[in-house]
Amino acid sequence: MALDKEIYAAFAGVVGEENICDDPALMPAYFFTDFAAVVLPKSTAEVQAVVRLCNQFRLQFRPICTGWTGFFRPGTVLLDLRRMDQIVEINEKNMYAVVEPYVTSAQLQAELFKRGLCTNLKGAGAQCSAMLRGHGHLDQSMGADDRNHLAVEWVTPDGELVRLGSLGSVGEWFSGDGPGPSLRSLISSVVPPSCTPGVFTKVAMKLYHWPGPTRYSLTGYSPRYLLAEKPPNMMARYYSFPTLDQMWQAEIKIGEAEIALELMGFNVAMVAANITTSNEEDEAMFKRLSQEVQGPGFFVIIAGNSPDDFAYKKKVLETIIAENEGMSLKSVEDPEIEGILLTQCTRISASVRETFRPGGNFKSIPIMGQRDLTIRWAVGAGQAKLPLIEQGLIADDGGGFFGWGVEHGHLGKTEIFCKFSPLNPEARKAVDAWAEQQSNRALEEKYFALTMGPPEQIDSKVGPALSNYHLWWYKVLATLDPNEVIPDKGVSKLHP
Amino acid sequence: MALEEYAGDMSMCCRCSACKFVPLQQVKGFKHANVCPSISRYNFHFYSGGGRLNLGYAGLKNGFQYVPRYLDVLYNCQLCGACDVSCKYGMDMEVLRPIQEMRIKAVEDGHPHPALETVVSRMRATGSMVPVAGRKRGDWAEGLGLRNALEEKVEILYHVGCLTSFDPERQKVARATARVLDRAGVSFGVLGEAETCCGGRAYEMGHQADFLAQAAKSKELVEKTGVKTLVTSCATCYQVYKVLYDRFGLKDELEVLHITQLLERLLGEGRLKPSRGQEITVTYHDPCHLGRLGEPWIHWQGKKIPGDRFVFDPPKPYRRGTHGVYEPPRRVLAALPGVRLVEMDRIKEYAWCGGSCGGVIDSNPEFAEWTAAERLAEATCTGAEAIVTASPWSEKLFAQVLAKNGGDLAVYDIVELVDQAV
Ligand code: SF4
Ligand code: SF4
Repeated sequence: MALDKEIYAAFAGVVGEENICDDPALMPAYFFTDFAAVVLPKSTAEVQAVVRLCNQFRLQFRPICTGWTGFFRPGTVLLDLRRMDQIVEINEKNMYAVVEPYVTSAQLQAELFKRGLCTNLKGAGAQCSAMLRGHGHLDQSMGADDRNHLAVEWVTPDGELVRLGSLGSVGEWFSGDGPGPSLRSLISSVVPPSCTPGVFTKVAMKLYHWPGPTRYSLTGYSPRYLLAEKPPNMMARYYSFPTLDQMWQAEIKIGEAEIALELMGFNVAMVAANITTSNEEDEAMFKRLSQEVQGPGFFVIIAGNSPDDFAYKKKVLETIIAENEGMSLKSVEDPEIEGILLTQCTRISASVRETFRPGGNFKSIPIMGQRDLTIRWAVGAGQAKLPLIEQGLIADDGGGFFGWGVEHGHLGKTEIFCKFSPLNPEARKAVDAWAEQQSNRALEEKYFALTMGPPEQIDSKVGPALSNYHLWWYKVLATLDPNEVIPDKGVSKLHP
Repeated sequence: MALEEYAGDMSMCCRCSACKFVPLQQVKGFKHANVCPSISRYNFHFYSGGGRLNLGYAGLKNGFQYVPRYLDVLYNCQLCGACDVSCKYGMDMEVLRPIQEMRIKAVEDGHPHPALETVVSRMRATGSMVPVAGRKRGDWAEGLGLRNALEEKVEILYHVGCLTSFDPERQKVARATARVLDRAGVSFGVLGEAETCCGGRAYEMGHQADFLAQAAKSKELVEKTGVKTLVTSCATCYQVYKVLYDRFGLKDELEVLHITQLLERLLGEGRLKPSRGQEITVTYHDPCHLGRLGEPWIHWQGKKIPGDRFVFDPPKPYRRGTHGVYEPPRRVLAALPGVRLVEMDRIKEYAWCGGSCGGVIDSNPEFAEWTAAERLAEATCTGAEAIVTASPWSEKLFAQVLAKNGGDLAVYDIVELVDQAV
């Protein structure tokens, strides 16, 4: 679906011939659709110009960063933001970093470590954009989702440049809500569309104190990097509990005590995936760890700013674990495995091991809400996975789910996924049915709203369950996007 | 294996983009996070390892369209294998293998790169990958009194390689190698004028049939000498004899050593005693063919187990770049008095390619030089006075780019430093 010559020339006039491709033969490299063209803008001005052309020619467009992205309609113009790859500023004093879209989380974090700072990387992995919204392993102590977005430079769907927060009033990046215009309610939502229409061209990310080393000292070769030396005042453990309620009590107490750098409600299948380097090793390790645990559990990293601080946090942690009859997993106490988990779970470098490695695909239901309620839902969703596991349609993770509290609180994210082969139509069908059932169950029980739902569910289910917010959203969108250049009303789908 | 046999691997690509970067644990800062020269230079996703697999998979399903842009993608790849290592940090799937097969398929389907075809025809005609220009292969050894392995019984055959044999600027490495082996009392010989190309670069250019024909000639010659060990100072030749010949059942029991491995052995045995040398701070460039691509071949045959996961019976052992030749050159450098090694950000299995792999120096010299310039800039960041490598191809390209762009770095082949020290 190549572009009309005149349109092609107009885009090429903005980004240069070498930064546009509309050859249909190459489009399969970009996800499951026939894009009309891929353009690579280099600057905010080029993004604006490209977006204006999309409006002029009534072409729908979508921006992407590293390539891990959703499903789009054929004929969409793809703005690949790969050439916008600069760290604009790291402001140590005010603790924010301004990044362009293609700065990866791994790059920003490595720079921040050198300065005793860190950012909350998303669970999708450190190769993803540093400005990505969402949740990650460090949610417990480093905020989450849009709360880490400060001032934002935003090209709206009709090509207008909007500077949000303090950027719009005093030209500074320190705040997203003022002084200056705050449109946080428009640019962020955990319910669909859950992604902002238009393009973020620069975002100030909130930074946090990093008590760890300026750089991990690693030995070994890929795929098994080991910590040469455990950093002082850091510890990683996995605790399992006799009951779900005891696990939750321990989680909430740890939050109240504000001692954890990271509290990840990993199931043991995810621990096994992280510490192993192949599917076969993973399977054996999962069996081994399943024997070791006494029930549900979570993974914790504590890090002290001094030996005394570390000793205090460790003592509090051990007290809480003991009070709730928790048991530390011996395998994770092994310094080698502890080291692997410390580095991987702070640098988020092995997400694909947990998700894509076994079968090539996974389908997830992430939810936000009061953790003890969402955990109850997740138990049901996990049990509903068991027949699929027995039939060999999805990878065996024991029906596991995961999640954690955000900012040491009782609100947080709970997530559950099925790992399967996209080449097995029976598996895909079964997983889709599971996802629909469990998402519906969530909505019926009114714990929360589902995300990543298909667009039609917004109108029929999600919107009505949430005060018909979608009707308001569509009105806002009509103003922002008068020429309807945003596909699917801004809703992102992961797969066709 | 034909491309079809990697359909499952290609279907596994989740477009996570990890193959564009060094393994994520090894990202040390804003700079030097990229690992794929092709996407770093050309930016579109289809230039990355993952993008190539997505194209290959679509091609298998819907047919290949050899449009100019597709051929541009196909031939602007160093086949350096960095994407393969980064992907396999997290995934169980082949990346480099199908990329190579896509190139072979293009040649078989009648779409070779014209410049590469010229190089391969030259190899067919002269047994050399580089222009012969009226010279003889063994000329570099004139006056050294070396033994001819076809005429005298020796323990080790020194295979010099095309570039080192014919390029007047690189012949110094052959002479240095011969001197060092001689000083260590190694029983070695050369093939002189009879030596012929290993054929490996033709394989990377997509000309598999030409490679196999050339490899058969080379194998026959080596067999005639009766040696049990072959040593080479060329990283590419090392990879070809050690890995590629093994893969195609051409290696048999021949022990294949890179000169750095033999030097490490000789130093360990006290047969080489470095005693002099210059005070110099150097950085070491891991040639792709000696490093990640030099990992031994693993013979495996199996079937995918039907069901939910991409697993095989028997389990498939992947080559992930773990077992390349990384330490021998570093240990050799450590043994040289006065030489201080400082490392670049991207090293060993996740080293940035030096620019001379995959036929790119012939098909797109500008891209080759760009890739090398990136490496030289990284080397400069270390504060080193010199960049040392163990491949004549990298050494030549580095020197060429420095001469063109300027810069204070000196370039050495590791054997030159050893030669100076013993
Ligand atoms: S080739 Fe591997 S690393 Fe690259 S996108 Fe595909 S799965 Fe990810
Ligand atoms: S082989 Fe090298 S140049 Fe080619 S895609 Fe992979 S990393 Fe890039």
